[in-house]
Amino acid sequence: MSVRQVGIVGVGHTRFGRFEGPFVEMLSQAAVEALDDAGIRTGEGHGVDQVFVATMGASMLNRQSGVASALVDTLNLRPAMAETVENGPASGASAVKLGYMAIASGMCDVVLVVGGEMMRTVSGWEATDFVATMLHPEAEYNYGLTLPTFAGMFTRLYMEKYGVEEKDLAIVSVKDHQNAMHNPVAHIQLVPDLYSITEDEDARIINPYVAEPLHVYDVCPVSDGAAAVVLCAMEAAGRFRKKPVRIAGVGQATDTHVVAERAVSTDLLAVRLAAQRAYRMAGLKPADIDVAELHDAFTILEIAESEEVGFFPRGEGHLAARRGDTRVGGKIPINTSGGLKAKGHPLGATGVSQIVELVRQLRGEAGGRQVEGAKAGLAVNFGGFGNNVVATILAREE
Amino acid sequence: MEPKMYAYQCTRCGELHHPRHFVCRKCGNRDFAQVPLEGEAALVTHTRVYNLPEGYMKPFLIFGIARFSNGLCVSGQLEADHPESGMKLKATVGVVKEGVGRDYYGFIFKGAD
Repeated sequence: MSVRQVGIVGVGHTRFGRFEGPFVEMLSQAAVEALDDAGIRTGEGHGVDQVFVATMGASMLNRQSGVASALVDTLNLRPAMAETVENGPASGASAVKLGYMAIASGMCDVVLVVGGEMMRTVSGWEATDFVATMLHPEAEYNYGLTLPTFAGMFTRLYMEKYGVEEKDLAIVSVKDHQNAMHNPVAHIQLVPDLYSITEDEDARIINPYVAEPLHVYDVCPVSDGAAAVVLCAMEAAGRFRKKPVRIAGVGQATDTHVVAERAVSTDLLAVRLAAQRAYRMAGLKPADIDVAELHDAFTILEIAESEEVGFFPRGEGHLAARRGDTRVGGKIPINTSGGLKAKGHPLGATGVSQIVELVRQLRGEAGGRQVEGAKAGLAVNFGGFGNNVVATILAREE
Repeated sequence: MEPKMYAYQCTRCGELHHPRHFVCRKCGNRDFAQVPLEGEAALVTHTRVYNLPEGYMKPFLIFGIARFSNGLCVSGQLEADHPESGMKLKATVGVVKEGVGRDYYGFIFKGAD
C-alpha cells in the first residue's frame, strides 16, 4: 500500500494564560481560527472527515469526557468521525500523528486536530498533583514525587556530569522570554533580567527555588489554552487558501515508566529515538533543521533535548546556549515561540502549539521572531518524564 | 510488624525489578520471586522541593534516587541534613503519604552512620 503525503493548511491558537469560559468554547476558538486560515467554510460542504482532540486532563480538571464528540457538534462538523486522544503532555503531537496516519492511509482527506487544556480552574497544588498522576502509582506518585521533583534531580545529575551552571539555565529562560515578547499568544509577556535572577542580592527572593537546583524562572507556568491544525492530503491541497507545509517525518518512542530504572540516568533515550525515527522518515539530518520547538517544561530539558536530537554534542547544549547559538539569528534557533517556559504549557495543547509555531515559521508569518529562510522545523513533545516522546518534522514546499 | 519493601527477581534469569513488573525486562519471563529490598544504598541524585502536591502539609521535602548494593535504583524520600551525591544511606520504611483512611508506606532514606 502506498502512503499519501500529508500537509498542514490551517493553524489556530488561543492566547495562552487564563481562559474565561467553558472548555469546549476554548477549543472551538482555536478550531475556527484554523478552519478560517485554511479557507474552510463551516456548514454544509466543510469536508472535514475526522476530528482529533488532544487533552490530558479534561475528565479530571473540568469534569468533562467525550470532548471530541462535543466539539464536532458545536462546530457543526457532524457526521465527521471524532476521538479524544490522551498521551500525557505529549497528547498534542500524538493527535497530530494520528491525523497524519488517518490521511496517509487513505481513510481521510481532511482532518482537524485540536489540543487544549484548562488547568487554572484548580489550585496550583491540585494542578501539580494532577500532572503527577502520570508517574508510577506505587513507586513514585505515592511518595509525593512530581514532575518538578524529577526535573530537579535530573538537573543535578546534569550539572555534576557536564558542568551545567544555574546561570546557564537562566540564559535559556531569558532567551525564551525574549522570544515570547514577539509572540502575541504567549502567556508570559515579560523578560526577566539575567543579573537580577541570578547574581543580584535579591535573586533568591525574585527567583526562589522550586525544586533545587531549579528556580521559578526554570519552570513553565500553569496555563489554559488551545491550538489547532488542519491536515489534508497533499494531492487535495489545492482546494485550500494557504499553501501546505508538509509533514515530512514523525517519530515516537517510549522509555521506562519508572525514572529510577533507566540505565543511564542523564539520557533521554525516547527523545533520541523519536528524533532519529523522524529524521529517517524525512530523509533529513540535524544540520538540515532551521528552527526547533523543544519541550522545555523545565529549562534543563531544552539543553538536554538539544543534545539528544543531534544539534550539539553530548554535554555541550549549555555551552551552545551561552554562545547564543539557540537565539533567533543563531546557528539553530530553539523555542522561537517562547517555548513552554514563556508561551505556557496547557498540556494537551502544547504538542499542537509547537506545530503551529513551526508552520508559522515555515510560512514566513512569525513576525519579530521569524527565522529567515526557514525550510525545515523539528518539534519534540515530551510525555511523562520522558517516557513517551513524539518528534515531528515539517518541511516547506518550494 | 514493620512493613517491608521488596524487589522482584526473575526466576529464569535472576534480573531484579522494583517495582513489580508483569514481564521480565531482560528475558521476557513472567515468574518472579519476592526478595527483601533493604540495607545500605548510595545517593545518586536528590532535590529539595518547595511546591509539594496536595496533601503534604510541610514547607519542603527532600527526595532522592538511591542505588542499592545489588544495583537496583529506586526513588524515595530523604532525611539528611546535607545530602551529597554518592553519600551512604540506610534504607528505612515509613509513611510517605497520609491518605484518606490509609497510610502509604515507602522508602525513607537516612544518612548512614
